[in-house]
Amino acid sequence: MSTKSKSIVTSTVAGIVFVAAYAFYVTRPENTPQTLQWWAVTMLIFLGIAIIVLIVVQIVFHMVLAAGIAVSEGGDDSRIKRILASTMAEDEMDRHIELRSARAGYICAGIGFVAVLATLALGASAVVALHVLFGSFFVGSVVSGVVSVYGYERGLRHA
Amino acid sequence: MPDLLITNNIRTLRFFAGEMTQLELAERIGASRQTILNIEAGKYTPSLELAFRIADAFGVPIGEVFEHRTSPAAPSSS
Repeated sequence: MSTKSKSIVTSTVAGIVFVAAYAFYVTRPENTPQTLQWWAVTMLIFLGIAIIVLIVVQIVFHMVLAAGIAVSEGGDDSRIKRILASTMAEDEMDRHIELRSARAGYICAGIGFVAVLATLALGASAVVALHVLFGSFFVGSVVSGVVSVYGYERGLRHA
Repeated sequence: MPDLLITNNIRTLRFFAGEMTQLELAERIGASRQTILNIEAGKYTPSLELAFRIADAFGVPIGEVFEHRTSPAAPSSS
């Protein structure tokens, strides 16, 4: 598996773990039922923490990557820097894969928005609709990651 | 329309360029090592611009780096 694929998998797994932590927190007996404002504040707090955690995960990932390259390539600092720069450099293939993965993510988010409207039309509460929207963004993020990894591992052709 | 199969000779050209590494080639053309690996393995078809850059890095015409042939289209199932 390529380094970029590993980076995406790491972020995606961290995201899944975080959503699982959110689900565990909000399904505790003392947290339900609550007002819409409580849900919004809780989601905002979790999103904020998620962003920080994802940044930390990426920093740790790059440190581990650098250490791994140092072990395999010896102690030549300039060569390690060159390999790191070339490994993580972004070029046309990355942009191509990013376009495809973003499109997959937008499709999921779009379907999620329609699902929210359908949920409300069926008489569900705003809290349920909020979670359908949250879930669709999460699924979109995971699908986007899967499409990216597929692109890096199986390759892309201009078709 | 018949399928177009694009192959490349990058591995051979790297060998004749003094066993140039994928890292060196990537640095010369401003791409990532992953992209070179994928192009070489036939997993990624580069843009025309990148293809020309690769040819320039080896100092050969683009036709010596990339080759193409057509294969008959798969029969339609409908």
